Amino acid sequence: MSIVTVQLGQCGNQIGFEVFDALLSDSHSSQGLCSMRENEAYQASCKERFFSEEENGVPIARAVLVDMEPKVINQTLSKAAQSGQWKYGQHACFCQKQGSGNNWAYGYSVHGPRHEESIMNIIRKEVEKCDSFSGFFIIMSMAGGTGSGLGAFVTQNLEDQYSNSLKMNQIIWPYGTGEVIVQNYNSILTLSHLYRSSDALLLHENDAIHKICAKLMNIKQISFSDINQVLAHQLGSVFQPTYSAESSFHYRRNPLGDLMEHLVPHPEFKMLSVRNIPHMSENSLAYTTFTWAGLLKHLRQMLISNAKMEEGIDRHVRPPLSGLPPLSKMSLNKDLHFNTSIANLVILRGKDVQSADVGKKFRAYIHQYTKFGIEEEDFLDSFTSLEQVVASYCNL
Amino acid sequence: MGRRRQRVDPAAGARAGALPEAIAALSRSLPSGPSPEIFRRAKFDRPEATSALWQLLFRVLSPLPAGNALASLALEVQARLVKSALCSQGYPRLALAQLPEDGSQGSRELLLALSWLLARGPVPEQMLAQARVPLGDEMTVCQCEALASPGPPAPHMEAEGPVDVRHVQWLMGKLRFRWRQLVSSQQEQCALLSKIHLYTRGCHSDQSLSHLSVTEAEMLRDPEGGQQLLRTLERENQRLEAVLAWRRSELVFWRWMDTVLGTCAPEVPAAASQPTFLPWVPERGGGELDLAVRELQALEEELQEAVERRRVAWEAKAGGCGRGPEWSAARRASREAVEKELGALQQCWERDGGPAQPHGPHRLVRREDGAAGDRDLRAAVVIRTLRSQEACLEAVLRRLQGQCRQELARLVGALPGLIWIPPPGR
Repeated sequence: MSIVTVQLGQCGNQIGFEVFDALLSDSHSSQGLCSMRENEAYQASCKERFFSEEENGVPIARAVLVDMEPKVINQTLSKAAQSGQWKYGQHACFCQKQGSGNNWAYGYSVHGPRHEESIMNIIRKEVEKCDSFSGFFIIMSMAGGTGSGLGAFVTQNLEDQYSNSLKMNQIIWPYGTGEVIVQNYNSILTLSHLYRSSDALLLHENDAIHKICAKLMNIKQISFSDINQVLAHQLGSVFQPTYSAESSFHYRRNPLGDLMEHLVPHPEFKMLSVRNIPHMSENSLAYTTFTWAGLLKHLRQMLISNAKMEEGIDRHVRPPLSGLPPLSKMSLNKDLHFNTSIANLVILRGKDVQSADVGKKFRAYIHQYTKFGIEEEDFLDSFTSLEQVVASYCNL
Repeated sequence: MGRRRQRVDPAAGARAGALPEAIAALSRSLPSGPSPEIFRRAKFDRPEATSALWQLLFRVLSPLPAGNALASLALEVQARLVKSALCSQGYPRLALAQLPEDGSQGSRELLLALSWLLARGPVPEQMLAQARVPLGDEMTVCQCEALASPGPPAPHMEAEGPVDVRHVQWLMGKLRFRWRQLVSSQQEQCALLSKIHLYTRGCHSDQSLSHLSVTEAEMLRDPEGGQQLLRTLERENQRLEAVLAWRRSELVFWRWMDTVLGTCAPEVPAAASQPTFLPWVPERGGGELDLAVRELQALEEELQEAVERRRVAWEAKAGGCGRGPEWSAARRASREAVEKELGALQQCWERDGGPAQPHGPHRLVRREDGAAGDRDLRAAVVIRTLRSQEACLEAVLRRLQGQCRQELARLVGALPGLIWIPPPGR
């Protein structure tokens, strides 16, 4: 079943490109680890999910690109076309000339309603192209204006129009010492709105991935494209076809449905994160020896001690007794676990409480939001709903 | 227990061998029916007939069409399900509920139960309808099942330990996801059906249909599958003929059942509570044993009293949840309220919607010209009716949600110092 990807904002578009690239190059990889028939079944399954066929055989990504500035979208489109392996659909993008100025309210209250119809039209055309439609995968960042504000608006619209389909939002947690001053406000508003309209929120933190790049992959000058590639690798491994119970030639048909059914049935606990090992550059892969059981044990320890990387794991932390068992899905070589310790959110809360109290000067930024119709009550509402989320997680 | 009278050739009953023929027809018309010999043994309450009859009753009473999964259930499980299903349908004889579930005795009781079911409704015809082989692509439009009154009461479940409401929410969430996946699968199926109907235009020999259904297309594609379909249809024909034969010769069977009923002991009215089983002690043994027996009896009475006291105290504390006369009265009241609501809903549907939908499945046919016969339903009409029914249901849901909210607000208002934050949602 097919997934339609909606790429929002600069961050969303760049990551989206890397994801499709990773998916396709993985399915065409020549490493020869399995028989040809298996390989073909794998390729077919992967392709059907994320790409549609065109006459001359070049797969077209099932994606909708949305941004308020034309620069990033043009870059993305041309990079895809240059690769020769795949490309984006011609009419699958929507951009304007303006930009959102990192203002959540601008994205949500101005851009959203104004361009609602055009954006939803493009999305509908993509959905109609699918023979069997499974759900939406929405990539956005939390800190910027377009990704976060417009993303929240679009997700809400999708919930209204396609209430039966599944939606997973992939959100990027900004750097702790980020460039955007009001990113905390943006993040709070985004999270609370998304919590209502989306089914699952998959978080990735720039900080964590940065560390992975630096320590484990030995990349000296870390650029956004490196970070995005690691991200795409993680995402790709989540979404690539997995075996179904019957036989090794049948892949499970509904990736989003499987993930969601096992991980986020409870309406209050929608946050997910990905842990994957091993982390290393492609070159060293040939020199390692891993066993499946060893990898699993490693992952479990990572999860329990809330580590994002292999190094520095506290081996003495034991899991608390919780009534909800973590369910894992066997994929090619990665695992996704239910994140019972959503310390990320607690960190944000700590930061925000500080910044909201300490900074009368931060209140100065609120006027930018009220200009576009987001009042203080909205902030308070968002705070309350997020506090509730944090409380429910703490009570686990 | 009533029985049906039917005008039947009276000479048929007098023929020798009419009874085995009738029973043979009956068993051929039921799925995996046992041989007439089993029926005869059951009349004399022979134990070897019991398990076959449990399994037959299970097939007749289980709500789903037979599959391999059901057949592999253990005999005890099947027996328990049969008992609860019969109880919920109001089967009057209590001896059945007390039968052991391992299939060691009680074949006569089971035979009586089977004939009770046969007398109540057209069982062989119903089973045939369940196992029908559809040649066209079909879908039902009537909402009878949706409006049926609530089914048999679930057996009392004792919760083991405190139930975490979050676990319940978790399960509800899973259910909702499965539901949504079902909806998308259905949409996918409809899209594919539409494609098949479109591409096979003009292929059907029947002009009024003009295109193939999935089964027919599959039959053309795969001749071996076509042979399989043919064999299935032939089996269905045989069962249909068996049903006809059964209807012609029923009377003989009912006369025989009268004799079976006659051999049963008259039913003792049920004791109000379970009989207590005193430990069986052999008669001989002398004075010491008598003393021991008396002591044991006294101990048992003491224990019973203690249990009674505890149970009363618990019920008082738990507010009679799940048991007790107040609980069953409350349940009855709520069930009546639900039935009233369902009746009102049906009236609302009949008023707002179009003509009442005919029952049973309908074959899907795609037509370009829009010409429809008298008995054909147009999709647009059906969609309109369903939409109006949906609107009625939404109105009822909103009303009930409003009532719940008011009730919650009232409860919260009664507790001072409590701030209630409603969950986020629209």
